[in-house]
Amino acid sequence: MRTTSIRVRLTLWYGSALALILVLFAVALYLVMSRALREQVDASLEEAAAVAIRTLGEHRFGPFLIFEDLSQDFPEIALLDKFFQIFGPAGQVTIQSANIQSREIPLSQTSFRASLDGKSTFESVQFEKGVPLRLLSVPIRQDDQLVNILRVGTSLYPTERMLHRLLAGLYIASPLALLVSLVGGWFLAGRALRPVHAITQAAQRIAAGDWTQRIQTPHSNDEIGQLASTFNDMIGRLEVSFRQIRQFSADASHELRTPLTITKGETELALRRPRQAEDYRVVLESNLEEIDRMSRIVDELLFLSRADLGEIKLKMFPVQLDDLVREIQQQALVLGQERKIHTVLEAIEPVVVQGDDLRLRELLLNLVDNAVKYSQEGQTVELSLLVAGNKGKLVVRDHGIGLAPEDHGRIFDRFYRTDEARAHAAKGTGLGLAICKWIVEVHHGTIEVQSGVHGGSCFTVFLPLAPSAAKV
Amino acid sequence: MRILVVEDEPKVASFIRRALEEESYAVDVCADGPGGLDWAQAVNYDLIILDLMLPGLPGVEVLKRARAAGVKAPVLILTARSEVDQRVKGLDAGADDYLTKPFAIEELLARARALLRRAGGAPTGILQVDDVVLNPVTREVTRAGQRLEFTTKEYALLEYLMRNAGRVLTRSMITEHVWDLDFDTFTNVIDVYISYLRNKIDKGRERSLIQTVRGSGYMMRSDG
Repeated sequence: MRTTSIRVRLTLWYGSALALILVLFAVALYLVMSRALREQVDASLEEAAAVAIRTLGEHRFGPFLIFEDLSQDFPEIALLDKFFQIFGPAGQVTIQSANIQSREIPLSQTSFRASLDGKSTFESVQFEKGVPLRLLSVPIRQDDQLVNILRVGTSLYPTERMLHRLLAGLYIASPLALLVSLVGGWFLAGRALRPVHAITQAAQRIAAGDWTQRIQTPHSNDEIGQLASTFNDMIGRLEVSFRQIRQFSADASHELRTPLTITKGETELALRRPRQAEDYRVVLESNLEEIDRMSRIVDELLFLSRADLGEIKLKMFPVQLDDLVREIQQQALVLGQERKIHTVLEAIEPVVVQGDDLRLRELLLNLVDNAVKYSQEGQTVELSLLVAGNKGKLVVRDHGIGLAPEDHGRIFDRFYRTDEARAHAAKGTGLGLAICKWIVEVHHGTIEVQSGVHGGSCFTVFLPLAPSAAKV
Repeated sequence: MRILVVEDEPKVASFIRRALEEESYAVDVCADGPGGLDWAQAVNYDLIILDLMLPGLPGVEVLKRARAAGVKAPVLILTARSEVDQRVKGLDAGADDYLTKPFAIEELLARARALLRRAGGAPTGILQVDDVVLNPVTREVTRAGQRLEFTTKEYALLEYLMRNAGRVLTRSMITEHVWDLDFDTFTNVIDVYISYLRNKIDKGRERSLIQTVRGSGYMMRSDG
């Protein structure tokens, strides 16, 4: 199902809101404008009436007022866009200005009555086919007697025209403004959503298997930027675990192939023809050895891959390392018994480190087992544990096959085995030292190796001492 | 037929050797690259089975150098890697066929037979001299339709003679192709085995197929 895109929806929301605002704005503008214009017209009428009354008062009030006299005295009156009418006290026209021409604009009943009561009235009138007019009737009283009624009028035509123009302008401008802003909104929404598009494309490429893809984030810390960097972080983490899983399966299949080849080959060979029971026993024993090797490889690989993913939980307590070393030395004696390899404790001091008892035991056992494995018959393996500054220094030295200097950097790599090691002990998995390195590193320590070919190997591990408070 | 196996994993080398020996091939095993190269040049092998992951010298390098030194024997490479480029490199370096680990023992033997056959020039693999027919796959030998039984070594000697029917084979050629490095060349074992073969094939027949070439060695041919 294809839903409307965010871009369209954003634009439509934006457009609707804007349209509403525009309509409200136009209505308000029109109302305010027309009110202001009318008030202006009324004000000008009042002003003109005031001027006229003052002028009349300076002369004298009476039925015999002649407009021509008036306009002669005050030429500016004639220039006004207003007309004057002066009604007698009975409501009949006595004088009216020339610009009224022959049109009859009688005094309405309302105005006349209001005038009798001494009140001014505004009226809007529209004669047939005529222009709309605004009229102001003002009573002129003398000694409490209504003498005249002055009427000032003006055409509402300019006002109406102005309002019409405004309306027309609003009619045209509003949709235009709406259109322009819709286009702008569409463009802006597109612009704002462009990083989202980039994220989508990157995600698609990643889905297609290209884990190196990242989203470009030029604008650093806005919402989209945060999304992009969150996304990038996520892809980064996924890439790491993906690569580890792939590495794991590649390593596993590679390392498992040799024992598989052996078990398959030997079994098929044994089954080709009937054989003595003893022959079958030999094959089964050999196969069992290979199966043990495969399970060791699988266990160690799983351990390392879980370690990579941070899934191995360590229980950190103060560990009496010297006790551990003594214990391992006893085990090493058993390991070396058959080939008369003797493991000796050269020097030992009490050392307490903060660590995981099980992992430290594994570390020691791996190192000592290696030392025994690569020693020649009758040789010795030396262990020592000393305090060196704020660290415990553990040394495991053998006099076996040793390492070429070029191998020093690589023996802690997974599955790295020197040719010598392969030839010497086919049972190794090539993972033991990688595990040792991991254990040392999670204990914030260091491990290094020194040796010369045929001069034996010497592994030195430094582990930070536990804080003195923990020594109790 | 004498085969060199260059493989560093002792158990793999061991079962390949046993399987080939059960098929009456003479087998030498070498566990590292430089040694394999020396042996390939020193002995005229009929087939070399070469692992690509070798200590000392990589298998591909062994192969290149052996070919450069004029070693003509067909080479079957074994690789622990299923990656295409390893096989391509091996084939480009002069290998004739490849097998990825883990492999089926029957497939290894079938490929070995195919490579030997190709080198011997008999397309069907069935060897025939006069009315003696030898099938290398079933290892059945008949003369005039009558089944004959041989020991492993006798069979190997007969197969070598039949593959080279019409050619004079010296004692040292026979030694090289039928026996392995443990063989003591100063004994008369070859003559003894020839007489065993004659007993089984030629005794009581009007035509003798295995002939002695005085001063040189032996030859098998039909026009007695």
